[in-house]
Amino acid sequence: MHPIIERANSAVDQAELYWNRAHSIAVRYENCRLQQVMENDVSETSLRAIKDGKIGSAYAVFPDQEGLLDNAIAGAKYGDPVQFSFTGSADYPDLVSYDENAARLQSSDLIELCETIKTKLQRQLPDVALGIGANRVKTKLVVQTSNNANAEADSTSAGYYFGAPFHGAGIGVFKFESGIAPPVVNDRLLDEFVEWYNWGAQTSTPSTGRLPVILTPQAAFLMMMPLLAGVSGDAVWKQTSPLAPRIGEHILSEKLTIHDNPLLAGSTDARAFDDEGVPCAKRVIVENGVLKNFIFDQRIGAVMGRPSSANGFKRTMFGSGNETAINPWFCCPTIEPGDTSWRDLMKGIKEGLLITGGMGFHSGNYPQGQFAVQAVGFHIINGSVVGRLDQTMISGNIYTDCRKISAVSRETGPCGGFLPLGEAPYILIDSLQAAGK
Amino acid sequence: MKSTFANIVSSLPSEYADLRFEENRKIRIAYEGKELTQVAITLTSGGHVRAYVNGGKAISSFSDPGRARQIAEATCSSAALVGNSREKKLKIASAPVVTEDFLITPTRDPRKVSLKEKLDLATHYNEMILKNPNVITTQTVYDEFTSRRIFVNSDGSVIEYELVNVGVFGMIVTKKGDVVQRVRFAFGGNTDYTPLLDREEDLREQIAKACELLDAEPAKAGVYPVVLDPSESGVFIHEAFGHLSEADGLQNNPSFRAKLQLGTTLGKPILSVADDATLPGLPGSYKIDDEGVRGMRTPLITQGILSGRMHSRETAAEFNEPLSGNMRAVDVQFTPIVRMSNILIEAGDSTFDDMIGSIDKGYYLVGAKGGQTSGDQFTFGAQWGYRIENGKLVSMVRDINMSGELFSTLQATSMIGNDVRFGERGGCGKGGAGPMQMNRKSGKGSPHIKIDAVTIGGI
Repeated sequence: MHPIIERANSAVDQAELYWNRAHSIAVRYENCRLQQVMENDVSETSLRAIKDGKIGSAYAVFPDQEGLLDNAIAGAKYGDPVQFSFTGSADYPDLVSYDENAARLQSSDLIELCETIKTKLQRQLPDVALGIGANRVKTKLVVQTSNNANAEADSTSAGYYFGAPFHGAGIGVFKFESGIAPPVVNDRLLDEFVEWYNWGAQTSTPSTGRLPVILTPQAAFLMMMPLLAGVSGDAVWKQTSPLAPRIGEHILSEKLTIHDNPLLAGSTDARAFDDEGVPCAKRVIVENGVLKNFIFDQRIGAVMGRPSSANGFKRTMFGSGNETAINPWFCCPTIEPGDTSWRDLMKGIKEGLLITGGMGFHSGNYPQGQFAVQAVGFHIINGSVVGRLDQTMISGNIYTDCRKISAVSRETGPCGGFLPLGEAPYILIDSLQAAGK
Repeated sequence: MKSTFANIVSSLPSEYADLRFEENRKIRIAYEGKELTQVAITLTSGGHVRAYVNGGKAISSFSDPGRARQIAEATCSSAALVGNSREKKLKIASAPVVTEDFLITPTRDPRKVSLKEKLDLATHYNEMILKNPNVITTQTVYDEFTSRRIFVNSDGSVIEYELVNVGVFGMIVTKKGDVVQRVRFAFGGNTDYTPLLDREEDLREQIAKACELLDAEPAKAGVYPVVLDPSESGVFIHEAFGHLSEADGLQNNPSFRAKLQLGTTLGKPILSVADDATLPGLPGSYKIDDEGVRGMRTPLITQGILSGRMHSRETAAEFNEPLSGNMRAVDVQFTPIVRMSNILIEAGDSTFDDMIGSIDKGYYLVGAKGGQTSGDQFTFGAQWGYRIENGKLVSMVRDINMSGELFSTLQATSMIGNDVRFGERGGCGKGGAGPMQMNRKSGKGSPHIKIDAVTIGGI
């Protein structure tokens, strides 16, 4: 038992400790040159305390203990009455999250990896201002409560990224891979980067109107973030979710089955327990387009008379970590793949868009399912890419526009944007509103 | 502690090294609807060291001040590894040695206000919002950040300085049928507690807008002339132009460096833009940056011509341009990166009525709702807007976002108002050399402006 919990036992009714330590090494190349090596060793602690039935929180970064309990008690003095108890002892699922070889990676190993990527890419793109980076993080996470929960996990994360702006532009192509083991350069990813980079040599602006759109895995957040906001028990409780009365209804295309899978093998965001120490399990959210489940943390579960779904995480759209208050959030969202190649999806499009990202998503009314973003991606004419999108916005509402999906691809990739690392296929939406010429 | 750290950096085998040690305290009180979800106090302390060796750079954050020398020496070894691999060596511009303290004495110091009083204030505003029958929930947050920092470098600078930022901000959420709308509010945003008080009338106006929006029409997608209110145009100049004026973003992007040579014409002669850390009482005001360089005013566009940019000592050396004092880190876990202080479009001579009257069919966008930029592409949202027809505001619109490309949009900025206003709450997210840093201390100001053509996202 951590000394803070031991001290808290005599001072408060209940206590919950979240402690982690992360040792990270990162190298960064800019314009093909090694720019910087960064090494951080950071420990963080948060303590939630319930005293006289009220809850308070305190956080510390670096100093693990000093003042932590006193600050949590000070918060609890004014806090709201709580309707839940901190987690008790539990059995946690097996999850491989640590690789000793990854833990041993040094900056020189990461530099060697980046040099390999640079050499391979420069053979095909000799004059491109490549940005390349690699990192390794070794983390220990502990969640303990005065109710005898004792969740501990050692994990590693190692990965690399590379990207470059199109010539003369601010937007470009960006690819990444990560896992718990030492990374190996993926030639398929490099080839795809070269192909996409060359696609973007010219700009092309579609006409204003409704067009078919393929969301790449990296752009799946345009659909998944509104869905997350809608299935969050917090939004359901506050009646701000458009999905509140719709469990069992078709909300998306029948071609979409979506899980939150905290046990996703190889994901650096996979977890055996959430940030409240509740054991995690794979959970269906949408099955063949039908809404099946909302997600809860302890607090929201309690007020709604439901158990936590092990979705209590210190995550928000713009950050995560110790100081972030726990709220319902996806751990590793996944969309089931289909059986069509994404390139075949593209071939059938007379005029449409291949979307790799969207800028300004967070300023839209996404909790209601809406998005209106500057489209990042490519313009498709007669099944082929004719150039990168320029001065084009796409907008829609996932609960109307994502009811009509022609197909999802058999290939999947890591979903990016604001989401934790899950997996998504390419998704062909029948039509979205585009604003261009 | 100052002299210990100063001895460490002066003895390192480096061309240049600096060390920043911080003790930070944050208080956050958060309501969501009727529920008080957070009364939290955060303590952060630790150090961050940067070293340049043989033209290479390395950085480290650490917790235990007793390990500062060991960490600093290891950082030098990493910097040498980088330097040995680089043909083009990184350099540091010379800067004045500063041996001065910069402590903050607000009119009413939030550090001296009790937790109970802060909670009562947040409770009061939250209850005001909840009384409106159209409101279904709220987010009301009291947010206080105070930092005491020591900075030493191998040039001999030894500085102790403080940062204070306090505000109440939040979101009003209204609902009618299936329509749910959100309107933001923010009071304070600088070092003083006083502007947080007696803001009931301002809050009532925002509540009323959140209710009006329930009957507003969605924006229609297309390309239109627009008028931006000072809040929106402040975000526009911050997102679209300001980030491209931060030299660390240009440093390794040859095509944008070529496009953004000083002396390049970017807009009409009516357009002048500056970054100014010296303006009093604004979110992005400060005396000294996290690289030991004094905050200052930097003209960025003067009468339509690119006249300056924001720098670190490293980028100032590379660009052979003057220092600007814009290097800042949100806390000790992060290395400083080039950030805007208070960016502003300077006043022109057009009136609001002139601008609206000049548009046959377009939109008036009001209230910043966040934005994003990548190179010359930008997107941002408005809290609400109005449709303009035949020179008149005719109806309120909701769910309105706009996007564009910097260079054509600056050229299309055809009228500039005479009514400069600064937003109260600062804020900016930027990654740069590492993870995203959300910086409270970033101010934005502007008058109304008219842009002849932007893309509006909508139905």
